[in-house]
Amino acid sequence: MKRTISRNIAVVSAIFMIAFSIMLIVNYFQVNGSDTTQSEAMEQLKQANEENGNNPLLQEQIRRLDLLARKAYFISLNRLKVGMAILLAMAGIFVISIRVYLAKSKEIPDKDIDPIDDWLIKSKTRRYLVWAAAGVTLGGLLFALLTSPYLKNTLQPKKTPDITVGPDMQEVPEMEHIVPISETAKVVAKDEVEIKAETEATAIPIETSKVTHNGFRGNHSLGISNATHIPTSWNLSSGKNILWKVKTPRQGFNSPVINGNKVFFSGADDNARELYCYELNSGIELWRLRVQPLSGSPHQMPEISDETGLAASGVATNGKQVCAIFATGELICADIEGKQLWAKNIGVPDNHYGFASSLLIFQDLLIIQYDNLNAPRVIALDVATGNRRWTKERPERNPSWSSPIIATVDNKPQLILVGNPGITAYNPNTGEAYWRVECMSGEPAASPAYANGIVFGAAEYADMTAISAADGSVLWKADDFLPEVSSPVATKEFVFVATSYGVVASYDAQTGALVKYMELATEFYSSPIIAEGKIYLISNSGAVYIFSAKSDFELITSFETGERTYATPAFTDKKVVIRTEEHIYCAEVK
Amino acid sequence: MQNRFPKPDFESGYLYPEPHYPIPHEALWSYIDVGVLLLLMSFVAWAIIKKQVRWPVTLTSVLSVAYFGFFRQGCVCSIGAIQNVALAWTTPSYSLPLYVLLFFLLPVLFALFWGRVFCAGVCPFGALQDLVHVKNYKLSKAVTGALSTFPWIYLGFALLFAVTNSQFILCRFDPFVGIFRLGGEGALILFGVLLLFFSIFTGRPFCRFICPYGAILGLFSQISFRKISITKQECINCQLCHNACPVDAIRPPYVNKVKERRAAGVHRILRYMIFTPVIIIAGSTVMYVLSDKFSKANKEVQLYEAVMQNEARPQEVQSLELQAFYGQGRAKEELWTEVEVIKKEFRIWSGIIGAFIGLIISLTLINLSAKRTRKSYEIDHAKCVCCGRCFSYCPQNQKNIISV
Repeated sequence: MKRTISRNIAVVSAIFMIAFSIMLIVNYFQVNGSDTTQSEAMEQLKQANEENGNNPLLQEQIRRLDLLARKAYFISLNRLKVGMAILLAMAGIFVISIRVYLAKSKEIPDKDIDPIDDWLIKSKTRRYLVWAAAGVTLGGLLFALLTSPYLKNTLQPKKTPDITVGPDMQEVPEMEHIVPISETAKVVAKDEVEIKAETEATAIPIETSKVTHNGFRGNHSLGISNATHIPTSWNLSSGKNILWKVKTPRQGFNSPVINGNKVFFSGADDNARELYCYELNSGIELWRLRVQPLSGSPHQMPEISDETGLAASGVATNGKQVCAIFATGELICADIEGKQLWAKNIGVPDNHYGFASSLLIFQDLLIIQYDNLNAPRVIALDVATGNRRWTKERPERNPSWSSPIIATVDNKPQLILVGNPGITAYNPNTGEAYWRVECMSGEPAASPAYANGIVFGAAEYADMTAISAADGSVLWKADDFLPEVSSPVATKEFVFVATSYGVVASYDAQTGALVKYMELATEFYSSPIIAEGKIYLISNSGAVYIFSAKSDFELITSFETGERTYATPAFTDKKVVIRTEEHIYCAEVK
Repeated sequence: MQNRFPKPDFESGYLYPEPHYPIPHEALWSYIDVGVLLLLMSFVAWAIIKKQVRWPVTLTSVLSVAYFGFFRQGCVCSIGAIQNVALAWTTPSYSLPLYVLLFFLLPVLFALFWGRVFCAGVCPFGALQDLVHVKNYKLSKAVTGALSTFPWIYLGFALLFAVTNSQFILCRFDPFVGIFRLGGEGALILFGVLLLFFSIFTGRPFCRFICPYGAILGLFSQISFRKISITKQECINCQLCHNACPVDAIRPPYVNKVKERRAAGVHRILRYMIFTPVIIIAGSTVMYVLSDKFSKANKEVQLYEAVMQNEARPQEVQSLELQAFYGQGRAKEELWTEVEVIKKEFRIWSGIIGAFIGLIISLTLINLSAKRTRKSYEIDHAKCVCCGRCFSYCPQNQKNIISV
């Protein structure tokens, strides 16, 4: 009777343990597998928050989601612990009951499965041991051999360059790295630099801001920067608030970009196309990378306007790689230490003014808006290798000089391109078109703006068009004041434009009503940037205008820098880097 | 946990409370642990040497599982203490806490006097396996004999990773601590549960085939001053104790009937002796060749590889280690210098440990080559965990009880 009861208890507890174990295992994987505090939704919210200049509503949403994730984690953890305790208790019951059940068999221990022949057992043990030791030794040696770097290099097939990148893309596997970081380069550069700080100062550890400006008009090319403590006045003639100023080695209208303590920009003339890296805190040239002759590159430079030049396209970086493109179709990419990673010519663009679209790096993709008369397309390459990820032909039969932007719409990234005649939104990861609105004409050079779910595109001989990024529906059009070269910038409330005839204007972002305009009797090619609640804008003559970034924008201050400026400045905490016609300089709060 | 819950990316206005550091009382508990350890080992020693009864061992097992296991959550333990002692021995800057040293030394001292009384029921791992052991199914002696070298090999690796200040693998791969803490790495908990499941049908698989501390204690147990005996009476060769022993630590009587010239036996032993240096060199060479792979267990080596990987193919999301490395502004060259030193240490220690493993295998082979004649059932003191199960099986002891 007692045996039967204990047997039944043992069986029930065993079934219970198995079922309960399965539940616990499922719970365990739920707890360990999910990482809701770093979920996709959370990351997208964070990204949206970053792009919207730390929006309090988004931040509140992030906090709520974060708290929820943490609570869920601890509840699951607690369940797991309680479950383990119950399981252990059941295991105890199982062992006790089975012991009771088998209590009678205690007196009849199990017999040996081996015959009690000590010598035979020893001989067998010896044999097993020798075989096991020999097996482990050989296995170990084989493992070491197969994983040795020498054998890896010998056995692995050499990767051939990806030559399927497009009809007129040609690969060059190797290029010479012209000037690495060297003491010589530094000394030469020093001579050219009008450094105000003492030389010794470079030896002091320098604090580097985390605020980056990774492409033309900043991160995602939206014209919005998170930089703080930005200088509000400087002067090149008197040297007021000027940290350093350097003559640019070669001509270029492209805008500088900043990542960490490095400033990148490019320059080109008939003799060479080069990518430069300067130290943000000192203006010392760290390295330069020259494009070596590439298969597909023209023997003669394409005939282009002097107002565009061969290096009008902005460079782009992600802090690990930096890439530059030239009007010759030459594209180079280096790591941030100046070591060339890859280079190729994607074909000389047929463009009467010269190629000017800036590069954009999104995650590990390098995106090129290649609008020109010959096979216009948008290209996404692997930024580390240069291999093609996707290419989409574009129906734009006219060239444009606009640059791509990334808009985060409903937590999903959209790649927005302005061309003639269309404004198109793509999936940046696949190239799939989300929507397209044909509303542009003339020669679009201004890049689109984006804020709060609305895309704004404008060109001088077209309209300012506001499009819902969710479905591509046109919300409004306006034609009061339109930019020629300078790109608009938008906030939730308004869109701000700077024209080439000196008018700056703001439109209501929701209705398109002209809110305010000012005639400043100058020209604007450089694009406005919003930072610290202010709009920074530089005229072609080199006058800096700082407005409050409100719908009734007020001119806070304006001052002359003393040099003609076409490029858009790059911002980081306490510093602005500006490229003028012949120089590049850094203004800093002192 | 730190990986899981990064700090928010922006200020929320929440004021973090001032850190409050309570007065540590861990030291007190540690010495209570040492006291409990001493008390329980003395109790077991008295029970098995003096009284030859098992119930105190069972009682100790319950207490040990409850106290050292669930209450103190399996740490500090004598098994893991091997690594602390090894690290302190090679790294003068490492301060070895006294109680950790005592946890390592006391069971060894007891083994020197009374055998593996620690394993009997004071060690929570052994105790847990012993408590769930229900039916003793025998395993092949040849297989278990070969497997008994594994604890020494495991010991070698534990020492290698400890002296190079890389990892405490005995703690890292502890199969029971997850059970005691009601949580941990799933795979290890599963391994612990499997060991316990096998423990139901065969005695203490962890103690016999894995535990390196048991191997050390077995060494001292063989030369202990007062050894455990099955009975104080004369053995009647009834075989009951041999069949009852859950760890196969009782050797049956054996009369050599193998027809072999004495010279052949001597030659065999000599052959193994001559091959000993070869096996040692082979072990040392294999381990030396693999030292580079072993060095990947070191955090600095891992960091260096992560940095190099990141430099070659930058990652969108960097690990905390990489963020810390770049955040501190450390130079790759400086890290490489450190890594070179670590790799050199690994080469040296891998060679030494390989030689040690080779020596263990050689000695085992020599030991297995000798024929010994036994007239009655004898305890193999290296294997015996002093559980006292054999006492109640011996008819001589029953006779003694009846006579009392």
